[in-house]
Parts: sequence; C-alpha cells; structure tokens
Amino acid sequence: MRGKPGFVCTVDGLMSLASNTSSRGLAPKLETRIGGIIGRWALWLAVLGGLLLVALALLTIVSVVGRGASSSFGVLGPVRGDFELVIMGTAIAVFAFLPYAQYRRGHVAMEIATNWTSPHTKALLAMIADVLMTGAAFLIAWRLHAGLLDKIGNGETTFIVGIPTWLGYAGSAVGAWTMVAVSLYTVWRSLNEWLGGGEQ
Amino acid sequence: MSGVEIAALSFVVFLALAVIRVPIALAMLLCGVVGTTILTGSETAVLASFKSLAYSTFGNYTLTIVPLFLLMGQFASRGGISQALFRAANAFLGHCPGGLAMAAVGASAGFGAVSGSSIATAATMAEVAMPEMKRFGYAGSLSTGSLAAGGTLGVLIPPSFVLVIYAVLAEQNIIKLFIAAIVPGVLAAVGYIITIGIVARLKPDLAPRQDRANWRERFRALIDVWPVLLVFVVVIGGIYWGWFSPTESAAVGAVATGTIAAVNGGLNWRSFFEALRQTAVSVGMIFFIILGAAAYNTFFAFAGLPQSLAELVLSASANPFLIVAVILLIYFVLGTVMDSLSMILLTVPIFFPLVMGLDFGMTADDTAIWFGILVLIGAEIGLITPPVGMNLFIINSMSKGVPISETYRGVLPFIASDIVRTGLLLTFPILTIGLVRLLF
Repeated sequence: MRGKPGFVCTVDGLMSLASNTSSRGLAPKLETRIGGIIGRWALWLAVLGGLLLVALALLTIVSVVGRGASSSFGVLGPVRGDFELVIMGTAIAVFAFLPYAQYRRGHVAMEIATNWTSPHTKALLAMIADVLMTGAAFLIAWRLHAGLLDKIGNGETTFIVGIPTWLGYAGSAVGAWTMVAVSLYTVWRSLNEWLGGGEQ
Repeated sequence: MSGVEIAALSFVVFLALAVIRVPIALAMLLCGVVGTTILTGSETAVLASFKSLAYSTFGNYTLTIVPLFLLMGQFASRGGISQALFRAANAFLGHCPGGLAMAAVGASAGFGAVSGSSIATAATMAEVAMPEMKRFGYAGSLSTGSLAAGGTLGVLIPPSFVLVIYAVLAEQNIIKLFIAAIVPGVLAAVGYIITIGIVARLKPDLAPRQDRANWRERFRALIDVWPVLLVFVVVIGGIYWGWFSPTESAAVGAVATGTIAAVNGGLNWRSFFEALRQTAVSVGMIFFIILGAAAYNTFFAFAGLPQSLAELVLSASANPFLIVAVILLIYFVLGTVMDSLSMILLTVPIFFPLVMGLDFGMTADDTAIWFGILVLIGAEIGLITPPVGMNLFIINSMSKGVPISETYRGVLPFIASDIVRTGLLLTFPILTIGLVRLLF
C-alpha cells in the first residue's frame, strides 16, 4: 500500500496526503497551490456529506421514537417518508465522499507487481490510473447530469412525500462534477511526481 | 465471439489493469462499460443505464446500512471502547502463553460486535495492543499476525457490512445472516486463540509471559465493557425483536456509539470531524467498488455468464459439497490477489444461482444463509492471505520496524486455523444454521 510513515496511526493512514514538493514538472508551484484549493474543497464536501449522514441517522431515530410513541401511547408518529429522505440523502453523501477518496488515493489497488517497481515507475502507473479515473468520473458525471435533466423534464417525485426526484440528482451532481475536477488534478499531481522524484 | 468468450477476455484485461495498479473498482467499471458496448454493438445501452446506475446504486435503502456501520466503527474506535475491551480480555487471558496476543484477538472479537468492518477493527486494536506487545517483547511476526487475523473478526462477528452486501446481492434476510454468523465468529476467535497458544508454546521466546490477574481485577475490567454489550444487544436484538428495520438499527447503533464515545470523553469536536473524514474515505472507496462491480455484473449478465456457468456445473453432476469446496478454493486463490469486497461483489451474482440449483438436503433459505457465511469467511481469509491482504498492509504500516515478510510469516498459522474452520463449517452446515433454526 502507499503508506507514508508518520501518518499511520489512523485507518486511512495508508492513503497519504501527498502534495508535490518537487520543483520539477509541469508548473509545480501552481500545481501545489491548486492542489491545496482542490484538496480543501474535497475535504469540505466530504465533511458536509458526513454531517448529512449524521443528520439522516438522527432523522431515522426521531422516526423510530415517533413510531414507538404512536404505537404505545397513541401520540406522535413516524416521520412520513423517512426512508425516501434517507435514500436521497445517502446517495448525495456518497457522491460527496468520492472526490475526497480520490484525492487521498483511497481506492484499493493490487500491489503485486508494483512492490518491486521504483517510485518513478509507480508515479507513471498512478498517472495512467488517474487518467482512466478522469474518464470514468466524466462518464458518471455526464450521465448523471443527463439523468438530472430527464428528472427535471418529467417532474418525477418520490412516492410518499412527493419530493422532486431531481433534487437528489442535483445534490449528487455536486459530488460527481467535483470528482471530475479532483481526478483531473490528480493526473497533474502524478505527472509532476513522475517528472520529479517519483511517487511520494 | 460469443458472450462468454468476451467475458473471459474482459477478465484478462481486468487482471492486467489491476496488475498495473489501476484501482480495482475502476478496472471493473471500465471492463463493464467497454464489454457491454462491444457486446451490444453500440454505446446506447451503456449511456442510458449510466443515467441512473450510479444514483440508484448509492441510494439503495438496504445499502444505507453500510455508511452507518462504518460511522459506528469510527465512533467506537474513539470512545475508549477498544482500550476497555483489551484490558478485560487481558485480565482473563494475559497469563497464558501468548496472552497479550490472545487478548488482542479476544478484544477484536468484542470490537467486532460494535464495528461492521475488518479494517477499522484491525487498525483500532493495533493502536491499543501493539504498544503493549512491544513493551513485553513480543516478536513482530506474532503481534502483527494475531492483530491482522483478529481484525477479520470485525467483519465476521455481526454486525457486518459484508453480510449486508451479500444480503442485497442474494436477496436474503439480514438478521438471519447476522445470527448465522455468531457461531462461526466465535469459532474463529477460539481458533485464533488456540493457534496463538500453540505457537507460543512451540516458540516461547516469541511471547514472554506476564502475571496472572486476580478475580477482583477481572470483574472490574469486565464492567468497563458494558457499552459493547449494550450496542450489540440494541443493534442485533433490535432487528430480531422487530423494534427496527436493519437501516434503523444501524442509525441507532451509530448514534448510540457516538453518544457513548462523547460521554466517555473520547469524542470531542475535533475527533468527531476526524471520524467523519475517515468515514468519507472508506465509504467512498467501498461504494466505488460497489458501482464498479455493478457495471461489470451488468455486462456479465448480458453475456449470459451466470447461466452458462450454472449449466456447465450442473451437467457435471458432482457432489454439491465438492462444488462449494471448489468455489471456496477459488475464493482462496482470488483472495490472495484481489480485495475481498470486489471479490464478493463480482462472484456472488455468478455463484449464487449455481449453488441454489444444487441439493444439499436443506431448504433454499438455509442453503442461502449457509453459503453466505461461507462466502464471508472466504472473503475474510482473503484479507489476511499474502501478498494482497488489506489487514496485513494496515497492521504492517502501523508497526514500525516489522518488515512485511515477517508479517506474512506471522499470519500463516492463522490461515491454517481458518482452513480448518472452513472445513468444519463446510462439512457441518448445522454449525451455521443451527442458531437460526433455534431462534426463528
């Protein structure tokens, strides 16, 4: 795994937060600056997604308590259509997590042939992977966007509460397009690592 | 080329991509997209399906359990629960040969009851137990091996997010799967503890002894683990007694664990945001794998792979138990190079219909549950088989000065214990489904 000693006491300790400190490559200073901005943006989006997740958990509990109170004492009641909100919110949260996972090199990869390759070659392979990731991220974001336009066009709503479905798509699109931006940036990052001192 | 041939070819491409370190999720997604395009002769089907595929994969009501369990595990690792568990296990087991390593396994089993993931369990317990084992002069091979193996109990002992994913893939009852996993989970913990005992007796210099705790100390240590018991009873019992749906119980578990951690003083604003951040990375990783596998499986289904394979196996008319043994062998081999979640997501849609077509002398429900636990164990072994085992990497990255080769060596006895247990569970399905039959 791409571990970096000194940052290893945490679960994702193996996903090191590398910023390019080498002075070689394609506009390395600008890359470091942009990386800082993009990284912070991805982090904030991830934290917002996390807060949304916590909010959904709390909403679920309110609903459970309400249901219990209504069946035991005949007061209150479950939150109407709670699971529709949970579904929509979770999709938005997961999309919000994706860019940060990419920024932190959080995706699992096989490490058999690469245990013995130089940091230099590793950076080249990482760049290939990042280019492919950018393609996939674009496909996902582009099609999600098309889905969003469809849902706006047909005015579809959820079954119980009647929330417009496009809201979920729109929230997800924020994460999906951020993912494209982050993936593009990671290509630049690994390019400079390749031209510079190899993967950090 | 026939569909099955294209599928086989795509698998070669998939492995090639994976070998050059393309993330596995991405490799699956690309192979699925390109494969479907070739098979259907145009990109229309892929482009149309991707309009909703990602959104509906991420917004699946049952799968919403997964991020909640991961959040629960993150809160649990910050709430002092792991320390309390380790102290308690050590008070009971510490004096045995290899006692600290046994305590790490016992505490991992306890932690597995509040954590749905193996990686979080391994990392959390390593943080607590590694310094102690170092202090007492344990060999790196034994300490890293036992922690990596112990970590697998996080996913084996319910609640378990891998079982949630199996439940979705195989359309099975989650709570029955959770209950079915209890006996195999306890067997795993006992097996690991016996393994440590044997290793420590054979090579006493690997694990220096410590003093025996008295009963007073033992009971005092035991009292501190009440939050684990509470969360376990609420989450598992809550679903079983019909108080909540599985998603609701995951929400209750996450909030309860967070509250306990906050009250214990382990969770402040800073570590709360840290928990969110780490949940984001693991959820992002896991759901991207789920999406990649969904795209790849769509292609496999188009190619008719599950049907062809099932026909082939049924025409061979071999002993059904032998067929399951072969499937487990495939998991064992695949697990040495692939991460276990991708493996389950890719293979269950192919193997499940096949297994359900065989006659084991059980009801269809029992077969599905039994097979689910076997799959889970196959995947769990994959987490600790060199060269690619997530737990090995995590534990090794957390123990400075221990070369990965030593960790590889240290985990071998535990793999042997896993193989023995898998054999038992395969031969005696009652070990898995007995408790389910008793409770339902």
